Amino acid sequence: MSVPPPPIRVAACGALTAFGDETVTLDALLAGRTALAARPVQGRPGDDLVPLALIPARPYDETLPPGWLPALQTLAARIPGEGWGTPRRPVFVTGSNFGVGHLLAFRRHGDPAHLDLGTPYECVAHVARTLGWGPDVTVISHACVSAHLGLLQATRTLHAGLADEALVFSFDFISAFVAGGFHALKILNADFPAPYQNRPVGSIGLGDGAAFAVLTRDRGDFALAGQSLHNEMHHFTANRADGSGFAACLADLPAAAVRRVWLKGHGTGTLEAGRLETAALDQAFPDAPLVSWKGALGHTLGSCGLVELAIALAAIRRGRAPGTIGATAPGFTPAVAFDAFDLAGFDGVVCTSNAFGGAHAAFIACHA
Amino acid sequence: MLERWITALRTEDAGDESPAATRERLRDLFPRNATRRMTQLGIVLGSTLQPLRPRENDTVVYASTHAETLALEGYLDSFPNPSPTLFQTSIHPSSVQQNLIQLQQPVRELLPLTGGDDLPALALQAALLAPTARTLLCGGEERGGWLLEQGHASDRTFAFTLVLSTDATDAIGRVSLEPAASDAPFRPLPLAAFFDHLHHRRPCDLLVSPGRRLVLNWST
Repeated sequence: MSVPPPPIRVAACGALTAFGDETVTLDALLAGRTALAARPVQGRPGDDLVPLALIPARPYDETLPPGWLPALQTLAARIPGEGWGTPRRPVFVTGSNFGVGHLLAFRRHGDPAHLDLGTPYECVAHVARTLGWGPDVTVISHACVSAHLGLLQATRTLHAGLADEALVFSFDFISAFVAGGFHALKILNADFPAPYQNRPVGSIGLGDGAAFAVLTRDRGDFALAGQSLHNEMHHFTANRADGSGFAACLADLPAAAVRRVWLKGHGTGTLEAGRLETAALDQAFPDAPLVSWKGALGHTLGSCGLVELAIALAAIRRGRAPGTIGATAPGFTPAVAFDAFDLAGFDGVVCTSNAFGGAHAAFIACHA
Repeated sequence: MLERWITALRTEDAGDESPAATRERLRDLFPRNATRRMTQLGIVLGSTLQPLRPRENDTVVYASTHAETLALEGYLDSFPNPSPTLFQTSIHPSSVQQNLIQLQQPVRELLPLTGGDDLPALALQAALLAPTARTLLCGGEERGGWLLEQGHASDRTFAFTLVLSTDATDAIGRVSLEPAASDAPFRPLPLAAFFDHLHHRRPCDLLVSPGRRLVLNWST
């Protein structure tokens, strides 16, 4: 029987949300604040108002250079070490939007300069040049589980001895392109999200988010004790009604790696997925408290897995986890924690994300 | 060195064929009326992926630089009344999902990559790092419309699926990524060029990115 490789360590991890960095974000979440505000869905007077959480002072319409780039540079300046984007220090960039809003800007305004940021690889190439990275940059995009896949590929690269350190970097900035799409799907509407709350109608909010994690084999206070994936391939926008996709992903986690966990779920605010998710988590981790932070941050889409990891690690350092902001009892299960709680006695957090196509992803983060 | 046996390969070169012509030519490979809801890339990819019968414990690695260009163009053209169908269809990795949802075939790992000229090398590395006994490396592009006119889309339609295995039984070739000096001059291998090597079963031995030497050999 082969011996599993030792857990990969998290040497550094940071995030950027509409509140600020992960420490400022944690403070806001613990205070029960929300960054979501009602904004015109396509940024025009008369549009339907929907809950969006944008980084302060960032224009919603695309600009040249991108209005989100300075914020990304500020975040990247916190990444320790040099030589990123070289074979021994590869970068894994994840997300679901990249610069796609610039394609809509081109269509609206006709400036071809927007096209140089419109496709994922051109957008990432622009970011890589701006941040001084070398060419060893892998771009992964699988909707809202993208960041989990970046962590997994970085882990495998390190386990194979192909790299000394790996940087996972994720960013998603909300545009009329993506807000218009979710609004057309009728899950982004005037209602603010109330994750895991048992109410008649579900809804989500969207938020800007970016994050990074430096993974190593031997440095860092935290470790990724297990990572798992599952793709149902049942329907583009629905899960199997029996929740088996959620359960299959959780079943592959090495639950024995930790004794007592808390759960940072996906929890966008949609009803059916929320019910299935809470039921599966309750079955796999009975009595573990469950939170979602998307009622405060909005759904940061392909970056949510990494953004929420950075906040979860900050919460563990602080010894207190924020509750499920934006929602009130009754929850789908008694395990849903609406208020902040102390983390004494917990030795790990299970973080989950879900995506279009019934894609599920999860990992366990714990002290190394 | 990372290496695997190639145990099966399917390719589809639709060139500059129109989506309607591709749909008509390949429709018998799919359930009745199914292609009406599929993108051109979904159809050509499916014609290579579905016959190789993906299984739940396979890893599927998908590579496309531009992906569903026509759905993306259509979605953008639908503003200010955006189409929900074109929105979800335009999202990476729609073409794989169109096919696996049609088959109702779950897979544990789906790793969709995008990128520029180094995409084949990076996708191949992801495939060779997969812990599963069988890995499907698939990919492709569809010819763009107005984005192509602007130079931001593929000028041809093609797709491939390569089955990589740790077992040499029935192997038709072998692929490896070998370490190389990171300062050695390299020649990028874009996805279309990688496809041509597969389609014509041409061997290659190239430094394709800093520190990576791609070796592709065929036994038949």
